[in-house]
Amino acid sequence: MTLDTYEVIALFAAVAAILMLGTTHLRLNLTFYCLHTLAIAAETAWISYLSGEPQHLIAAAGVLVKALGIPIFLGWIIRKLDVDSDVGTYLPAPLCMHLGIVMLGVSYLLSNQIPGVNGDDATFGATSAIGILFCGILLMLTRKVAISQIVGFLVIENGIYLFALTQTRGMPLIIEMGLLLEVLVAVMITGLLLFNIKKSFEHIDVTQLTELRDQ
Amino acid sequence: MLSFAVGQALQIVAQCVGLVVSLMVIPPITVGTIRKIKARLQNRIGAPLFQPFFDLRKLSMKGETVSKETSWLFRATAVINLSIMLLLACLVPWLSFTPAVFGCDLFLIIYLFALSRFFTVLSALDSGSAFSGFGASREVTLALLVEPAIVLCLASLGVAFHSSDLCTVFSFTNTAPVPWILWFLAGSGLFLTSLIELSRMPVDDPTTHLELTMVHEAMILENSGTNLALIEYTHFLKLAVLLGLSTQCILHALMTRGIADELVRGVASLVGIGILALTIAVIESTAVKMRWSKVPEFIAYPVAISLLCMLIAVLRWTK
Amino acid sequence: MKVLIVLGILPIVLAVLSLLIRNAPRLRLFVAVMHWVQLALSIWLLLPLLDGTVPAVVYSPGLMLDRLGAMFVILTVFVIASASTHAVCYFAEEDIHRHSEIPSSPMRNGVFYACLNIFMLAMMGVYFCDNLAYLWMCIEATTLSSAALVFHDRTKNALEATWKYLIICSVGIALALFGTVLVFTSSQRGAFPEGSLNVSELILRANKLDFVLLRLGFFFCLIGYGTKAGIFPMHSWLPDAHSEAPAPASAVLSGALLNCALYGIWRVYQVILAASPHGFVNHVVPILGTVTVVAASIFLVRQYSFKRMLAYSSIENVGLMLVAIGLGSGPLFFLQAVNHSCAKVALFLLSGNITAACGTKRLNKLHGILKTTPLWGGLLALATFAVTGAPPFGAFVSETAILITSANRNHWPLAVLLISAIAVSFIALCLHIGRILVGQAKPDCHPFQPMRSSIVPGVLVVGVLALGVLLRLDTLVKLP
Repeated sequence: MTLDTYEVIALFAAVAAILMLGTTHLRLNLTFYCLHTLAIAAETAWISYLSGEPQHLIAAAGVLVKALGIPIFLGWIIRKLDVDSDVGTYLPAPLCMHLGIVMLGVSYLLSNQIPGVNGDDATFGATSAIGILFCGILLMLTRKVAISQIVGFLVIENGIYLFALTQTRGMPLIIEMGLLLEVLVAVMITGLLLFNIKKSFEHIDVTQLTELRDQ
Repeated sequence: MLSFAVGQALQIVAQCVGLVVSLMVIPPITVGTIRKIKARLQNRIGAPLFQPFFDLRKLSMKGETVSKETSWLFRATAVINLSIMLLLACLVPWLSFTPAVFGCDLFLIIYLFALSRFFTVLSALDSGSAFSGFGASREVTLALLVEPAIVLCLASLGVAFHSSDLCTVFSFTNTAPVPWILWFLAGSGLFLTSLIELSRMPVDDPTTHLELTMVHEAMILENSGTNLALIEYTHFLKLAVLLGLSTQCILHALMTRGIADELVRGVASLVGIGILALTIAVIESTAVKMRWSKVPEFIAYPVAISLLCMLIAVLRWTK
Repeated sequence: MKVLIVLGILPIVLAVLSLLIRNAPRLRLFVAVMHWVQLALSIWLLLPLLDGTVPAVVYSPGLMLDRLGAMFVILTVFVIASASTHAVCYFAEEDIHRHSEIPSSPMRNGVFYACLNIFMLAMMGVYFCDNLAYLWMCIEATTLSSAALVFHDRTKNALEATWKYLIICSVGIALALFGTVLVFTSSQRGAFPEGSLNVSELILRANKLDFVLLRLGFFFCLIGYGTKAGIFPMHSWLPDAHSEAPAPASAVLSGALLNCALYGIWRVYQVILAASPHGFVNHVVPILGTVTVVAASIFLVRQYSFKRMLAYSSIENVGLMLVAIGLGSGPLFFLQAVNHSCAKVALFLLSGNITAACGTKRLNKLHGILKTTPLWGGLLALATFAVTGAPPFGAFVSETAILITSANRNHWPLAVLLISAIAVSFIALCLHIGRILVGQAKPDCHPFQPMRSSIVPGVLVVGVLALGVLLRLDTLVKLP
C-alpha cells in the first residue's frame, strides 16, 4: 500500500518529463528537463544510500553534472541561435502531454508484466522509467525543432538509466560513467552541428531537411 | 465533568470567534499583501496593507447606480454569492481547522463554487452590457476547461483516503500513508487552477484597464457602490479559501506525520497563504498575460497535473 | 592486456598527430602507412587466435577475443588501411578540383583523420568486448566518431545526412542500451545474484537466466543494433550517410561499421541460442534478414544516385549476414562479411573516383566510363559481379553456403525468397552499372590519375576473386 521514497522520487521524475511535453517553449522545456534529471540524481543518491554503496554517489554527482550542465549548454545554444520556441508540433503540445499521462498508465500495465524480483514493490520504479521512455519518444516524434529532438533523446536515455537504477541492484559504476560520458559527447556534437544547421538552412526545423531521398 | 463541558463549549466559542475574525481579516489582508509585494517588486511604495479595507468602506458608503433594464437578479447576486462564499469558507478546512460539525463533501464544495459562478454569469448577462456578456462567455469557457482539474485534484485525495469528506482528508491526524508527491501535485494543481478561477495573471489581468481583454472585471463592470463592495469582498474570500486549500495540500506534503498542535498548524497555514500570495505577486510581476488562444495550453497544465494525481491515487490503490 | 595496449596505442597517437600535422598530403601518406603497420601488428599479435591454436583469450574481466572476433579485427583494420591508402589519392584530387564551395583546410583534414583513427579504435574495441555494456559503449563511440567523417564535405546535404545519422542511430543505440539493461536484469533474476553482462559467463549459465527478460532484451538489442546495421524498417539513415560521406569514409562505413553492428547482434544472439536453441526467437532473426534482403532488392530496382544504389546493396548484404547470424553460423557470417567488405570497399572507392571525375552522382548522367577510363570500367564491372555474388567471386560461395544451410534447417520459404531477391538485385545492379559503363564517353569527364587510383580497388577485386577460387563450399556446409 505504501510507496517507498525511491518510488516517489521516480514518479516525480516521470511527472516532470510529462510536464515537459506540455510546452513548446524551449527554455521551459529545459527547466523541466533540469528538474527531471535532478530527481534522477536524487534517486541515484537515495538508492546508493539504501544499498549502502557509497561509490554510487559518484554516479549521482555525474547525473547532477548532466542535470545542470546540459540545460546550461543547450540554453546557451538557444540564446546564440535566437530561437525560443518550437515552430510547430505534429501533435498539439497539451494533447501530447495528456497522451504522456495515458502512456504512464500503459507503462504501469507493462511494468506489471515484467517479473519482479522484489515482489510487487518494484513496479512503480519500472512504471516511471518506461513512462519516461515513452515521453522521450513522444518528444522526438512530435517536435520539429532540432533542440527538442536532442532533449527527447536525453529523456529516453534518462528513462533507460532510471530503469537500470530501479530494476537492477546496482549496475557496475564504470558502465554508468561510460554512459554518462557518451551522452555528454553526443550532446556536444549535436549541439555543435546545430550551429551548422542554422548557418546552412537558416533555421533549425529538422522537418525541412528533406533534400535526400530516393529520386 | 461540568468544567470539562464548559471548557469544551468555550473552546468551540473561541474557534467560532476565531473563524469569524479570520473571515473578516485574512482575505483583505491577503489581497493587500499581494498588491504591496507587487508594488515593491515594481519599485513602488504601494498602498498600505490595509488598503482593501478602506476600499471596501469607501465603496459601501457610495451611492449605487443600477440600470433600469436589469431585473432583481442583478442586485441579488452579490448577496447570494457572498452567502455562498461564506458557507464555503465555513465548510472548507482552509485554515487547518473547521468548526462546522457536519462534514464537507468535496462534491458539495465544487457545486457551491459552480453555483456562485452561475449567479455571477447570470447577473453579468442581466446587466445587458456588451462587455459583461463578453466576460460571461469567457468565464464559462474557462470554467468548462478548469472544472475537471479541480474535481480530479480533490477527488484523487478522496480516493487516497477512501472518503469524499474534505475534513477527513485535511485532518492532519489521519495517518493514512499518502505519498508526498500526491499532496504536492494536488497542491500545485489546485494553485494553478485557483490562478484561473481567481482571474489572476497568466489568464486574466486583474489590474488592466482594457475591457476587451478582461474576464472577471468585465463581468462586474456595471456594479457599483455597496453591491460592488460585496462582490469585491466575495472575491477576496474566494481567493483566501482557494489559496488556503492549496496551502493545506502543500503543508501535508511537507509534514511527514500529523501535527497535534493546532496553533502551529494555524500559523503554518497563514505563513503558507502568505508564501502563495508572494508567488502570485512574483508571477504577476514577471509573466505577461497570455493571448486568449494560448490560454488552453496553460490550462492543460493543471488538467494534466490533476490527471496525474488521479492516476497515482488509483494506481496506488490497486497496488 | 599488453596486446590491448599495443593495438590501442597507435590509433590514439595517430589521432593526436592528425590534429598536430598541418601538412595535409604528408599527413595522409603517413596515416596510410601507419594503418598498414597497424594491420601487420594486429596479425602478428593475434596470430595464435587466427591459426586456431588458442580458442579465445581473456584479457581482463569483460574483455575477451575469440577467433571470429580476431578475424573481424583484421578485416576492420584491413578495410581502414585500404580506404586510407586510397584516400591519399582521393583527397589529392579533391584538393585540385574542388566541387564544393567550402575551401579545404588543414584543420578539416586533421579532424577527418583524427576521427578516422578514433573510429578505428572504437570499431576494433567492439570485437574485444565480452561485456555487453562495453560493447554498447564502443558502438555508440563509433556513431559519434564517424559523424565527423560523414560531415566532411560540409555541404547542406552532408549536414542533413549527418544529422539523420546521429539522431536515428543514437535513438537506436539507446534502445540497445535498454536491451542490455534487460539482459543484465535477467541475469540478476536468474543465475547471478550480482548480475553479469559478460557473454562468456551468460552462455555458461544460459538456462538459469530469466528467459522472458532475456528475450525482451534481445529484441531491443536487435532493434537497436539493427538500426545501426541498417536492417530494413530502420535503414533510412544508411543511404543518406553512405552517399554523402566522401568515398573513403563511405567505404569504411559500409565495409567495417556494418559488421560491428551485426557483431553486436551476434553476441547477444549467442546468449539466446545457448538459453533456448530452438525457440521462437531463432526464427525471427533469419526472417528479419530475409525481409531486409527482399526490401533492399526492391529498392535497388529504382535508383537515381550511384552511391545510394551502393548503399542499398550494402543493406542487402546486411540482410544476408543477418540470415547467417540467425542460422547460428559464425563462419558464414564472417565469410559473407569479408566478401562484402572487400567488394563493397572497391566499389565505393571506384564510385568516388567516378563521381569526382564526372562531377555528378546521378545515374542518368553517368555513362561511357569504359571509353573514358577502361581500367576503372573493368574494375567496376568486376567489383559489381563480386558484390552481387556472381560465380567466380567469393560472395558466390558464401551466399550459396547461406542458402544451402537455410534449406538444410528447413527454412525453405526463406531460401526461395532469398534466391529470388538476390536475383532481382543482381539484375538491377548490373543494369544500373551497365548503363554507367557503356554509351558515349562523357566530354566533361576528367579522370584523375586513373592508374594510381585503381591500385587499391584492383587489389581488393583480385582478393575477392582469390577467395572465390580458393574457398571450397563443401568445407563450409554439409552438401545434400
